[in-house]
Amino acid sequence: MPRFFVSCVLFSLCTAISADTPEVFSFIQKNCAACHNPTVKSGDVDLKTLQHVKTFDEDRSIWEKVVEKLKTGEMPPPGAPKPPRDSILTVTKWIESEFSRHDRAAKPDAGRVTAHRLNRTEYNNTIRDLLGIDDRPADSFPADTAAYGFDNISDALNLTPALLENYVDAAERSVRTALFGPELRKPAAVHYSAPVRINLTRGQTGLPKDIFNYDFTGLSTVHSAHFIHRFPVDAEYNFRVVLNGHRPNQSEPVHPALFIDGKQIKEWEVDATDLEGQIVDHRMQVSAGEHLLSTSYLNAYSGLPPSYNGPDPSKRPPAALIETRGKLSEKDIETLRKYGTRIKTDGIDTRVDNRFESLDVGGPFNQTTAASPESLKRVYVCGHASGKHNDSCVRPILKNFVTRAFRKPATNAEVEQFARFAALARKQGDTFEEGIATALQAVLVAPQFLYRIERDQPAVAGSTVAPLTDYELASRLSYFLWSSMPDAELLRVAGQGTLRQFRVLEAQVKRMLRDAKSFALVENFAGQWLQFKNIDVVRPDPGKFPMFEDNLRLSMRRETELFIDSIIKKDSSTLDLLDANYTFLNERLARFYGIEGVKGPAFRRVDMTGAQRGGGILAQASVLTISSYSTRTSPVLRGKWILENLLNAPPPPPPPGVPPLEETKQGSGTLRQQMEQHRKNPACSSCHSRMDPLGFGLENFNAVGAWRTEDGQAKVDATGTLPDGRTFQSPAELRGLLKGDRDAFVQGLTEKLLIYALGRGLERSDRPTLASIAEKLPAENYRFSKLVMGVVTSLPFQNRRPSAPGQVAATMKERSK
Amino acid sequence: MSFITGKQLNRRSLLRGAGAAIALPLLDAMRPALAAPARIAGQARRVAVVYVPNGIVMKDWKPAEAVDTFAFSRILKPLEPFRQDITLLSGLSNQVANKAKGGAHAKATGSFLSGAEPKYTAGADVQSGVTFDQIAAQKLLSQTRVASLQLGCEDARMVGNCDTGSSCAYTNTLSWRDAQTPLAVEVNPRSVFERLFGTIDPSLSPDVRARRALYRKSILDDTRDNTQKLLGSLGPEDRRKMDEYLTGIRETEKRIAAAEKDPLTPPSEKPSGIPFDYADYVKLMFDLQVIAFQSDLTRVSTMMLGREGSVRTYPEIGVPDPHHPLTHHRGHPDFIEKVTKINCFHVELFSKFVEKLKATPDGDGSLLDHSAILYGCALSDGNAHSNQDLPLLVAGHAGGIRGGRYVASPEKTPVANLFLQLLNGVGVEMEKFADSTGTLNLRS
Repeated sequence: MPRFFVSCVLFSLCTAISADTPEVFSFIQKNCAACHNPTVKSGDVDLKTLQHVKTFDEDRSIWEKVVEKLKTGEMPPPGAPKPPRDSILTVTKWIESEFSRHDRAAKPDAGRVTAHRLNRTEYNNTIRDLLGIDDRPADSFPADTAAYGFDNISDALNLTPALLENYVDAAERSVRTALFGPELRKPAAVHYSAPVRINLTRGQTGLPKDIFNYDFTGLSTVHSAHFIHRFPVDAEYNFRVVLNGHRPNQSEPVHPALFIDGKQIKEWEVDATDLEGQIVDHRMQVSAGEHLLSTSYLNAYSGLPPSYNGPDPSKRPPAALIETRGKLSEKDIETLRKYGTRIKTDGIDTRVDNRFESLDVGGPFNQTTAASPESLKRVYVCGHASGKHNDSCVRPILKNFVTRAFRKPATNAEVEQFARFAALARKQGDTFEEGIATALQAVLVAPQFLYRIERDQPAVAGSTVAPLTDYELASRLSYFLWSSMPDAELLRVAGQGTLRQFRVLEAQVKRMLRDAKSFALVENFAGQWLQFKNIDVVRPDPGKFPMFEDNLRLSMRRETELFIDSIIKKDSSTLDLLDANYTFLNERLARFYGIEGVKGPAFRRVDMTGAQRGGGILAQASVLTISSYSTRTSPVLRGKWILENLLNAPPPPPPPGVPPLEETKQGSGTLRQQMEQHRKNPACSSCHSRMDPLGFGLENFNAVGAWRTEDGQAKVDATGTLPDGRTFQSPAELRGLLKGDRDAFVQGLTEKLLIYALGRGLERSDRPTLASIAEKLPAENYRFSKLVMGVVTSLPFQNRRPSAPGQVAATMKERSK
Repeated sequence: MSFITGKQLNRRSLLRGAGAAIALPLLDAMRPALAAPARIAGQARRVAVVYVPNGIVMKDWKPAEAVDTFAFSRILKPLEPFRQDITLLSGLSNQVANKAKGGAHAKATGSFLSGAEPKYTAGADVQSGVTFDQIAAQKLLSQTRVASLQLGCEDARMVGNCDTGSSCAYTNTLSWRDAQTPLAVEVNPRSVFERLFGTIDPSLSPDVRARRALYRKSILDDTRDNTQKLLGSLGPEDRRKMDEYLTGIRETEKRIAAAEKDPLTPPSEKPSGIPFDYADYVKLMFDLQVIAFQSDLTRVSTMMLGREGSVRTYPEIGVPDPHHPLTHHRGHPDFIEKVTKINCFHVELFSKFVEKLKATPDGDGSLLDHSAILYGCALSDGNAHSNQDLPLLVAGHAGGIRGGRYVASPEKTPVANLFLQLLNGVGVEMEKFADSTGTLNLRS
C-alpha cells in the first residue's frame, strides 16, 4: 500500500495542471485531494480524475457531487480546514456556469414519454367526465407503482393481467351504470367504531374552563365522532347511532345529533343516565359519493347539574336517594332512569363522558336504479327517447364517444370497428341500447383509451425535436392540470390548431386552473410532493395525544388542501408555501392552534399575522404530524422532509454498514444532546449536520403539530446552526432563512412540477428547461400560473424526441393507410 | 370466522369489523361451492409465504435447544398444537442482501424470495429477480384459474421513496414476476374474492350471462387484433407497453376459456371491504387463501402481514407505538418487550391459518398435508438489520416434508437452499436457484 501511495503522488505531480486551467483545480488539490485520491478514495470518490476542462462532460457526475457538497457545507468535513467562503463561491459559480454552458451547447432533446397508462386517479376522473358517473371504479384496482415521488410516471405504470381484468370489468360496470342506471344492490351494513377517547373530566369536580368555548354543534368536542363514507348509489340509508358513557345524575336529557357534510340532519333526545348501548336510528335519502358523517352531542356542556358550573345549568332536582329495599315502584324506576341515583354517584357524578360507541350505515334501500339524465345526454347525442332510437344514430353516437374517449377525432375506421359490436348485440336479439353499451365497453378496453399514446412525428428540418399534435398537447394539459380528459372546449381549441399560440394557451391554462377540477393538482401533485396525504394513515399514540381525533385529522388535511388550492385559484406566489400570513381554519383546528374568534365547523381564511406559530406549510399540523413518529417528534425526519421537499437537497442514504441514526429515549441527556453525541461519528455527521438543525428548528411543534414551549420537563430549544454557519433562534427565524433559500425552493418545485407534468423522470437534457422556467419567476412574483405557463410552454412539454428515421417512415406508412 | 371448518360462526366478530356485511353470514352460503373438483382431489400441492415485517426478537423466537423435541419459545407457543406439522429452521441467511446497496429493509425484502440484488433506485428502473413463488406459479399456471395470489394487510399506497432512497417496490411487495415486475399486493378482500370468482352478477339469468360473456370474448378478440395492427407504428418503448397489454388480454381470454370449461358457482356474497379490526382483517385474508387452495383456484400465494418497515401500531395488544421505530430498540427492555408482543400476535394469527388448513380435508389428508407454508421475515434482528440466521419455519407436508423437526443449518447457509426444496415440493425440478449451494433436506 505505501508503495502505491508514492506512485500516486508522483502521478499527480507528473500531470501538472496547465496554466489556463481555472482556479478550481488547485482548489480541489488543496482542499479535497488529501482524502479523495485513488488510494484513500474516501466515500468512494476520487477527485484526482478531475484533470482537464476538456473531460468536463465525462466527469459531470463527479463535478455535480463536488458542487453539492461544497454548497451544503458538508465538505470539507468538520475538523478539516475550511476554505474561505469567497473561494468556495468562486469555485461553485465556475462549475455551475460550466454546467449550464455545456447544457445549453447540447442539442435540444425533448425526451420521449412512453405510452402512458391512466393511473387510478386518472381512470376514475376520466370515467367521471366521459360518462357522467362518479363511481370511482379504480379504487379497487391494484395500487399503481410510484417513481420519482409520483404515481403518474409512464415508465412505472405497468399493466398486469389482473389489472386488465379489472379494466374489462370496470368497462362493463361503468357503461351499464351510465346507460341503464346503477345495478340494484343488496342492503349491507358498514360498521364504524368510534375511537376510544380519554375522558377529559374524570376525577375532576368541575369542567375545565375553556371547554365552554365550543359551538352548539359539538362537532369540535371530544364527544363527537367523524367518518368518511362512500355511498355506492343514490338511495335511502339507515343510520344507527350507538351511544356510550354516562350523563351525570340530575342532568337534562342529552341531544345526540347526526350531521352529513357538516349539516345537521337529525336531532334526538335521550333521557337516560347510563347511555351505554342506547340506540337511535334515522333513515334518509343520500346521494352517491363520499360524504362526511358526524355524530355529536348538541350543547354538550349545557344542562349539567349546577355543581359543574357549566353554562345553562340543569333545573332538575338533586338526585333522589331512593330508600326502598323491596321492589321498585314504576315511579322509582322512572326517577332512576331520568335522574340517576346515589348508587351511581361514585365516579359518575364527576365526569361528563357521554360519547359514541359506533355508527352503522345500512343500505341501500329504495335504490334509484334509473340512469342519470346527464349520463344519457353525454352518450345519446341524437337525443334519448327510450326504445325509439333510430339505427342511423349508432355512428354519430360512436363518433362522439370515441372522439372523447380517445381524446382526438375518431376516424371512420375506428367508428366502424366499434359499430360492429352494436351490430353483434342486435343480431343476438338485444336492444339498441344494449348494442351501444357493448360498443362503448369495447372502447373502454381499447389501448387508445387506457393509454395516452403519442405518435412519432417527423422532426422539423434542422431540428432535433418534433412537436406533438395539438390533440396530444391538449391531453398533456388536461392530465397535468385536471388528472382527467380534455373537456369539449379544450378539444375544440385543439381542433382549431391554435393551442400552441401563447395567448390561446395562456387563456386555456387560466381557465383550467380556475375550474374546480384543478383541485386534482392539490390532491395529486401537492399531496404527493409534500406527502400530506399520509395524514390519513398516521396513528398518533392516543395516550400521548388524546386530542388527536378524526375531526382534527380531517381538519389538518383540509387546511393544507385549502391553502394550496388558494395559491392555485388566486394565483398567489408559490413562496407563500415557505411563509405566509394567512391560512384556513375551522373552529376545531383554530382551537388546537390557539387562535381565537373562529366559530363553527366551516373553514375560512384566517389572518395569521402576529400568531406565534406563524404561517406557511411548516406551520401546518398536517406536515408536522406526518414528519413525526406516533409517540414523539423526530428532528431527523423533519429535517429530511425539509431538505427533500423544500430545499431540493435530499440527503443521500446512510453509507453502507452504518445503521440509520435513530434517536431513542434511552441514555442520558436530552434528545438534542444525544443526537449531538451521535453526530460526532464522522460517517453520520455530514448528513445529520444538515438534517438535524432544520428539524430542531421546529421543536416548538409537538408530534401532532401543536405549539409547545416545553417538552416533558425540559424547555424547548428551537435554536440551530446550519452547516454554512447561519443561525436561528425560533421556527420563525428558520422560516426566514428558508425564504432566503428561495432559489433552491423554486428550483425544486419546478423540477417536481415538470416531472409530474411530463410523467417521466428528468434527464440532464432537461436542465436548460428547468433553469429557464425558474429564472423567469422572480420577475413574475413567483406566481403559480406563471410557473405552470413555464412548464406548458417548455420544449419537453410541447415536443417529443423523434424516433430513428426508419421508425418514422413506418409510422408515416401506417398513417397513409 | 370459522365458516370453513364448519364450526359455529362467531357472529359477533363479524359484526365488529367495519365493512363486514351484516346481511348474511358472509361466506356461509358458499359452502356447497367449495367442494374441490374430483379430478384433483388430494393431488394438488400448494406453496405459500406468510411474511411479517421488521425482524423478530430472536431471543424470544429461538428455542433453547436445537433438537426436534425443542420447547416452544414464547413467540412460537401458539404453534405448539401443530408440532408434528412444523419444521423450524435456523442458520439460513440472505448473503445477497448483505452485499447490496440501499436501504436495509428494502434490500432485505427486495432480495428475499429471489436471491437477486435489488438495484439501488427510487425511480422507475426497479430491478430485482424472479421470486421462487413465481417460478412455481409459472409451472402450475395451466393447472389453475389464477396463477398466484399476492396479498397484503397494509395498504401500501405510500408516496415518496420507502427506505433511504430505495423504491417502495422493494419494501411493499414480496413477489416479482420477473426482474422488472414487482407484483403489487392486493389489500382489499373484496377484490381478492372477485379475482377468484369473477365479477359477473350471479343473479342474472343464464342466457343474459351467456350473451354478456360472448360480447366480452368478442371484444377481447377484436381488441387483440386491432392492437397488434397498432404495434407496427410504435417506437420500441411504446411497443413494450403494448406487449404488456397484449399479454394481459391473452391471459384474460385464457381465464375466460378455462372458466367456461369448468364452471364454478361463485358464492352469493362477497366481503364488502377491509375489516376495521386488524385481527379480523388478517383472518379474512387467510380464509380467502384457504378457499382458493381448497377449490384449487390457485396453488401459490404470498401474503404480507405488513409492509417491510411497517409503522403500524397495535393498541389492541397494548402497543400504541409504531412497529418499525420500536425495533430499533438499542437494547431497551421495554421496547424489546413490545416488539415481542407484536411478534407473538402475528404468530397467533398465523396459527389460526394453520389450524384451518389442517381442519380442511383434501383427498386422503388435509390441505396442510398438501401445502408448504413458509412463515418468517427477511431480517432476523431488526435493530441491527441482520440478514443472518433468519427466523423461518415451514408448516405443512407438501412434497414429503416430514415435520416435527428442528433443522439447524450451518451458519450462512443460503436461504435459497430452502426455496429449492419448496420448489421441488410442488414439482419444479431445478438444480440451482439464485445462490443456492444445494437443497435443504426437509424430507428425512
